[in-house]
Amino acid sequence: MNIKINKGLDIPLGGKPERRVVDLRHSATRYAVRPVDVVGFTPRLLVAEGDSVAAGTPLVADKRDPRLFLPAPVGGKVAAIVRGEKRKLLEVVVERSGALSAENGGTRRLDADSPCWWMLRERPFGTIACPDHKPKGIFISLLDTNPLAPDVLFALRDRMHDFEAGLAALAALAPVHVCQPAGADLKVNCAGVSVHTVEGPHPAGNIGTQIAAISPINKGECVWTALAQDVATMGHWLATGLYEPERTVSVGGPAARSPHYYRVLCGSSLSLVSQAQLINPAYPQPAEGGSGHTRIVSGSALGGSATQADGHLGMYDQQLTFLPEGDQYEFMGWLMPGLDKFSFSQTFLSGFLRHAEKLGVPSPAYRFNTNTHGSVRPFLFTGNFERVFPFDIYPMQLIKACMVGDMELQEQLGIYEVEPEDFALCEFIDPSKTDIQTVIREALEALRKEAIA
Amino acid sequence: MNMKWLEQWFEKIEPKGKMSWLGSTYEAFHTFAFTPKTVTRSGSHLRDAVDMKRSIIILVIALLPALLFGMWNIGYQTSTATGAGWGWFYCWWFGFVRMLPMIVVSYVVGLFIEFAFAQVRHHEVNEGFLATGLIIPMIVPVTTPLWQLALAVAFAVIIGKEVFGGSGMNFLNPALVARAFLFFSYPTHMSGDKVWIASGMWHNDAIAGATPMGELATGMNPSASALSMLLGNIPGSAGETSVVAIAIGAVLLLLTGIASWRIMLSVFIGGGAMGLLFNLIGYNEYMQLPFYYHFLMGGFAFGAVFMATDPVTAAQTNCGKWIYGLLIGAFAVLLRVCNPAYPEGMMLSILFMNCMAPLIDHLVVNSNIKMRAKRGKEAAK
Repeated sequence: MNIKINKGLDIPLGGKPERRVVDLRHSATRYAVRPVDVVGFTPRLLVAEGDSVAAGTPLVADKRDPRLFLPAPVGGKVAAIVRGEKRKLLEVVVERSGALSAENGGTRRLDADSPCWWMLRERPFGTIACPDHKPKGIFISLLDTNPLAPDVLFALRDRMHDFEAGLAALAALAPVHVCQPAGADLKVNCAGVSVHTVEGPHPAGNIGTQIAAISPINKGECVWTALAQDVATMGHWLATGLYEPERTVSVGGPAARSPHYYRVLCGSSLSLVSQAQLINPAYPQPAEGGSGHTRIVSGSALGGSATQADGHLGMYDQQLTFLPEGDQYEFMGWLMPGLDKFSFSQTFLSGFLRHAEKLGVPSPAYRFNTNTHGSVRPFLFTGNFERVFPFDIYPMQLIKACMVGDMELQEQLGIYEVEPEDFALCEFIDPSKTDIQTVIREALEALRKEAIA
Repeated sequence: MNMKWLEQWFEKIEPKGKMSWLGSTYEAFHTFAFTPKTVTRSGSHLRDAVDMKRSIIILVIALLPALLFGMWNIGYQTSTATGAGWGWFYCWWFGFVRMLPMIVVSYVVGLFIEFAFAQVRHHEVNEGFLATGLIIPMIVPVTTPLWQLALAVAFAVIIGKEVFGGSGMNFLNPALVARAFLFFSYPTHMSGDKVWIASGMWHNDAIAGATPMGELATGMNPSASALSMLLGNIPGSAGETSVVAIAIGAVLLLLTGIASWRIMLSVFIGGGAMGLLFNLIGYNEYMQLPFYYHFLMGGFAFGAVFMATDPVTAAQTNCGKWIYGLLIGAFAVLLRVCNPAYPEGMMLSILFMNCMAPLIDHLVVNSNIKMRAKRGKEAAK
């Protein structure tokens, strides 16, 4: 199937990563497993501080379904168990010792006992795939259109063999759909795998967009998804028995010193990356008129999670974004012509120049930061969301149904077809500055709890 | 521009403790001077540069050509009616002096109520009234007494908007609520078949002048030429007469994407189609009127550009916007031609469709719901 997405927006965020990979797999020593990144996962600790673990050893299990667990990304010692408010488990940190991983014997099958199982996620709700469910398809995207996202095919370039082995294993579970960017030429000789082509602006690379175009989720149905890089990890584990959860991540953003790719393992500490990339090494600066401090985001600028310079890569993230904080006032900001401001609307001069780009006029140098550029208001304007939302869903009506908590209406309007990330662009362009992704996440969580109860 | 001193001044006077009940008022002025330094906390770390203030201010700028022309026309009409023969600047100055008190009264009354409601509810003050408060003086006769205007604005803001929860929650266009209030409360001032031309700069005596629609309603052909109606040097409310000035505003609204082109276009298509239908019937003079005359006369163009496109009270779905606009245009022409008691049909047509917009959206969204339910049933088989 050839999928052409017309609705959407590519945000011209500066700091595009160069195609150069620095391997940190052998230099990073601390790795974290982060249950907070996994939707619906109630962690039960299986290890204590000081325990020795091998790569793939379960560190935490889900209280609801003990078959689901998060494994240690490397072998070593449990160095820290980090808890937050109300003793909520945030991270289990493993200090690597010796080789990256060791083979564990026995037969290897891709099932809930596999250390790779957590990499499969289920829609609706975005939880770890439930082994009892029968998904109608498994969807893998070979392109990521988020701002400054990695070129997935580039990240996978010397792991294609493992990737195909992983696809074959997934095809044994359910029909697999792989979406590749236009121009790529992936041939998979494996029954049960269909390859589609996707082109268009963001969110063309979002798995939700691709599912909606290929086979939208109806009530009662589910699909599974995984990052393409994790499929390669599955294939590698099946072939060799070595659990090496590799990720080639793109590092970029206006506040990154020299944006390029890094090759790391899941949960890797970010200290080395931060040291190399932070323009201002004295991060974090005390807030005084926004004197150039930086927000480090694990994930994309449209929906990743803010972390610290010594934080860890998020469980399902394949990029890091360095953004200047925007905590400063702007005098009469609403009245300025706005040549350096980026807006999807044409209410700033830059909006016209953006369209003039096609005629050869150089695009203005936009100044991006984390400022909200306005305060929260009720929804006034209509018809904008539809221009960046390539679903057969009425976005404004669904958001409002979520805000008032009308579950029946949410179902009727197609809540099961979306995840918060599908609304990221709506949230970005919203002149009312509503936190739409939070609204959608809370609605989905309420529905999920209702479904369990 | 170094505005550090103003930043510090605002931080110094921030109401705290006993005075914290003034928070909304303080916030309104503070955010007027400075875009706040709030940063994103969840979801997307980056946000678009556009906000409500920016959007509304563009709407206000789009109103300016019609307003400035209207001021000139007020003086020009008086000059013509009294045979005074003023120059263009004096004509404009005359209109400016007549319009300024109306604009001030509209803003002061409306914003006072808006601030009071925001304060009581501990909400931030919404920018929406900056546009409404300018539109109201532009769509009422220039001789409207200020106390009537003040009452109408208060009625529109309280009953038309705030009782429903403020901007974004209202279902009727507040500016049209104000005009409808005057229309039904003081019909002698607001009939629509005649307009009142100010006779002097400082007193409220008026000279009656016929509008093209008033003439048509009584079976005459309009005395103004199509060109005059296009340029707008005919009697009428300040904002509505010049189709050219309105078109300049329309271009700005469409280029910036603040107003929906679907609604604007479909209102004209609906009005034109209805006009053509009447041409086919051709029962009387009014029905034989070329269809484009309806675009030039009265408040049709102003209503289509600035009032039908109010996103809060219009249909919200793209398909719904077409239906909404087509029906506004059609009803406006229907009312004009078939109901001589109300020569101006635009106001009632838009208010009527404001009431119908939720129903249109309901039907449009329902078809999506049905499609999804059908798909689910087929998948379950």
